[in-house]
Amino acid sequence: MKKIGVFVCHCGINISSTVDIEAVKEALKNYPGVTHIEDYKYMCSDPGQNLLKERIKEKGLDGVVVAACSPTLHENTFRTAVMLVGMNLYNCEIANIREQCSWVHKDKKVATKKAKLIIKSVVEKALLNEELEPVKVPVTRRAMVVGAGIAGIQAALNIANSGYEVVLVDKNPSIGGRMAQLSETFPTLDCSQCILTPKMVEVSQNKNIKLMTYSEVVDVSGFVGNFKVKIKKKVKYVDWDKCNGCGICIEKCPVTVSSEFNQGVGKRKVIYTPFPQAVPNKPVLDAENCTYFIKGKCQICKKLCPPDAVDYTQVDEFVEEEVGAIVVATGYDTYDISNMEEFGAGKIPDVIDGLTFERLLSSSGPTNGEVRRPSDGKIPKEVVFISCVGSRDPEHHFSYCSKICCMYSAKHAMLYKHRVPDGQPFIFYMDVRTGGKGYEEFYQRAQEEDKVIYLRGKVSKLYREDGKIVVCGIDTLSGKYVELNADMVVLATAIRPSAGVNEFARLLKIHYDENGFLTEAHPKLRPVESLSAGIYLAGCAQAPKDIPDTIAQASGAAAMVANLFASDHLLHEPLIAGVNEDLCSGCGFCVTVCPYDARKLNKEEGIVEVNEVLCEGCGSCSASCPSGAAQQKNFTDTQLVNMVKAILKD
Amino acid sequence: MEISYFPGCTLKTNGRNFEGTALPLLELFDIHAKELDDWYCCGVSFSQSADNLMQQIAPIRTLVKAKESGNTRLLTLCAMCYNTLQRAIFFIKSDEDKRDIIHDFMYREGTKFYGDEVEVVHLLTLLKEIGSEEIKKRVKKKVDEFKIAPYYGCMLLRPKEVAIDSSNAPEIMEEILEAAGCETTYFPFKTECCASYQIVNNSEIVKARTKKIVNSAVKNGADVIVLSCPLCFYNLDEIQIEIKKEDKNFKTIPVLYFTQILALLMGIKSEVNNFSLHYIDPTPVLKRKGLL
Amino acid sequence: MFDPKIIAFYCKWCTSAGADLAGTSRMTYKPNIVGIRVMCSSRVDPEHILDAFKNGADGVLIGGCHPGDCHYESGNYKTQKRITLLKKMINDLGIDKNRLRLEWISAAEGKRFAKVVDEFTDEVQKLGKLKI
Repeated sequence: MKKIGVFVCHCGINISSTVDIEAVKEALKNYPGVTHIEDYKYMCSDPGQNLLKERIKEKGLDGVVVAACSPTLHENTFRTAVMLVGMNLYNCEIANIREQCSWVHKDKKVATKKAKLIIKSVVEKALLNEELEPVKVPVTRRAMVVGAGIAGIQAALNIANSGYEVVLVDKNPSIGGRMAQLSETFPTLDCSQCILTPKMVEVSQNKNIKLMTYSEVVDVSGFVGNFKVKIKKKVKYVDWDKCNGCGICIEKCPVTVSSEFNQGVGKRKVIYTPFPQAVPNKPVLDAENCTYFIKGKCQICKKLCPPDAVDYTQVDEFVEEEVGAIVVATGYDTYDISNMEEFGAGKIPDVIDGLTFERLLSSSGPTNGEVRRPSDGKIPKEVVFISCVGSRDPEHHFSYCSKICCMYSAKHAMLYKHRVPDGQPFIFYMDVRTGGKGYEEFYQRAQEEDKVIYLRGKVSKLYREDGKIVVCGIDTLSGKYVELNADMVVLATAIRPSAGVNEFARLLKIHYDENGFLTEAHPKLRPVESLSAGIYLAGCAQAPKDIPDTIAQASGAAAMVANLFASDHLLHEPLIAGVNEDLCSGCGFCVTVCPYDARKLNKEEGIVEVNEVLCEGCGSCSASCPSGAAQQKNFTDTQLVNMVKAILKD
Repeated sequence: MEISYFPGCTLKTNGRNFEGTALPLLELFDIHAKELDDWYCCGVSFSQSADNLMQQIAPIRTLVKAKESGNTRLLTLCAMCYNTLQRAIFFIKSDEDKRDIIHDFMYREGTKFYGDEVEVVHLLTLLKEIGSEEIKKRVKKKVDEFKIAPYYGCMLLRPKEVAIDSSNAPEIMEEILEAAGCETTYFPFKTECCASYQIVNNSEIVKARTKKIVNSAVKNGADVIVLSCPLCFYNLDEIQIEIKKEDKNFKTIPVLYFTQILALLMGIKSEVNNFSLHYIDPTPVLKRKGLL
Repeated sequence: MFDPKIIAFYCKWCTSAGADLAGTSRMTYKPNIVGIRVMCSSRVDPEHILDAFKNGADGVLIGGCHPGDCHYESGNYKTQKRITLLKKMINDLGIDKNRLRLEWISAAEGKRFAKVVDEFTDEVQKLGKLKI
């Protein structure tokens, strides 16, 4: 039997005033396994710790139980102390006789009795504790960033500049994401392209970044430090190794379709780059609309391509990448206006969403930056902006605030006024939220300098009449019903997680909330980590946010990745559940209860195998194992039963 | 098929043209609407009472009667009755504490009501269930260029828990009328409230609303407005006369229950229409379009 | 007055931390309960509970994290399923099902921890000594 030393702390008078220390010592003196017992005024103090260390050496103790405060406070202190004299830290246990005994019971007799039981039960545990060493996990010091909008770009650049390789994946033909679509950005009104494109070029030139555009992650396996990711490189029908980006194919392609990048307002060719500054600046061919693929004729692009890069025989390609960490930066979509029946459900051409308006404002957009309404190309003289469309509407749509709409609506109204000086912008709002550096000033400027009229209230409906859009709403500040005859209406639709992200989250085994946004490990203290180790979050995939917040979170995620890569091994808590192969019958119950896929049934051998790295040590499998083959280390069935018996014996 | 039927007060008086056309219409589909024995007001007129529990007693008693009738479905024609009964069910299902208070209050009556025993169904829903094909089969007359503006008002659509269709963009009346060969016209005010509750204390509001709704329908080329609510009928029909007195340029438009149009199309004798109950005579336009 | 013996199993992350908070807030509660700290409430095997009853426990309390808050994603849901089933079973074995209780107590609910312990102790006291 192990030799256990028990050390009872007085904690000044915090414990000793309600627990009779002498009586406790007396009761435990002859308890099986206890070879030494001693008390001290402050066990956590330096002399207290020294006493502990001295006695371990002197008495040849195999394990110690410190009866003191909650293990949350000083378990680490005492375990560090015992390690200094060569004891395995898992041989040091804490009996909590302060928070869960002396502080909650006033009667000395009952508190003393309870303290004895607590200590005895912990002695039982200590007697059967195993010596454990942290599980060492090798780390592949290479990261993957999924989504190459501003969040992904920032994270990738930060990781790459820390000296690690990054695989940057995006489903679109070019990087840049939503930010590339924006006109000018609040609160400084600098052009989005001007601040984004240098970063995009930096990505393409960074030796540490392996860029995979027009690609999608289709499978993820493995775990922190050791992920295997399968990527589908969608067929482009253009051999990018040969393509020199001259653009002749785009120029000569005879078919145009509506452009996704321009939110359907402008046109693009069938062989195309989404926008002129695309990175990589090489085209893809959209086979669905291509005359050659539909009718078997045309081939103009192929005939005219100087380096003969167009290849109609290409197929999807699958590649596998090994990485140690993944940053999810999949961004956002805007809530489709077809969901807004009271606003015409998308059937009124001059009722558009904010992102479409960005394209109308953008100097590289379909109207070269002139605000012209989609229906007839006229310059609108009265424009109504409606905020909180779908957001803050728990009854019909979403309860959350989309955060950026107040600011971009103010910006839209301002930019519209700059383009059309004799025009009048109106904004219907519920509240104006301008938390952010320089934001409130920006909002004031919209009202004072650009004469934007703010109406506090909701719009009940809008409809087309005589070439105008009648906007019916209420101005709650004057209490009056308002009817405006607008030429154009811009809806600040809710920010939604981008399509398909929830399926992707399931691949990664990370969580998402009831609105579909990815869940961070802790809302305040761990905002850039997912609940799965080694997977980090950045940008609007986690929650709606503006560009500065996105950059901050992306850099944070990159710092977490660099932190993970700082050493070539990870240490993992060893309180895991193994398998006793002699007892395991291969029933697989434990496999089904494991939330981490740490257990796999080996059907050939008829036993379960454990990936110690994935096991987080909840012990759920141990409770479900009918034969006792799955035992959580240091929380074995025998230990728990002995603890129960120790408590019930007297 | 037999279905329990709750007429409500108006349908036996000012709304005889509604009931008179609806019931023969249902018979064409072999549906017999069996009137509840000994029924009384649905309770809509208590809805502004300060004690919001008391206002539930009348509809719940009606629902208990329906439960005791043995049929699981209760048909209503009047949009007000539909709304009151359906909301009572919603209320009783969503608040157990208040349900218990109501049960305590009604303990002498013996029967308790929990909400799932009876389904209140509006005639429009029933016709939609019957389906376009069956409706098409029974149409005897064909009309050309007869533009109908379906008006829903609020009671069939709000609150959304009791709505028979989308609260903002309903289509159910259009579907049924189009199945019967009519042309419907969109007008943006089809779901607007007619302001009937203001008729006593502020009739100006009612006039203003009516004017807006009617103007919008006329502007969108409608020949008639059809609806399903006796109160809306009264407001949109009679109030137009008042408006005309003040505004000579105001263009009036006949108002009918949707069942009247269907009954005429399906060859039910025109006497059931009780056209004398209409303030704006619809017969000229109906004759012009060959329905009379 | 009968002095019942009650075993509690609580998870490290929520209920044990809640019990610590009751202590730091100097609340008082009945002393009949003695806790065993496990990593997750889902570590508790129904057999441990049966064992406790067999060895003289008059009541068993299981404390876990609130639904959705489990540190191990879904441990508390598993516990709930197991305990629901076990309650039916012990009732058939002649152990009043109210002698077994499952509670969600978060790290912030020191007050609730004290209240639950007092209530449960009272209840077990009323049920009297467990005779098997």
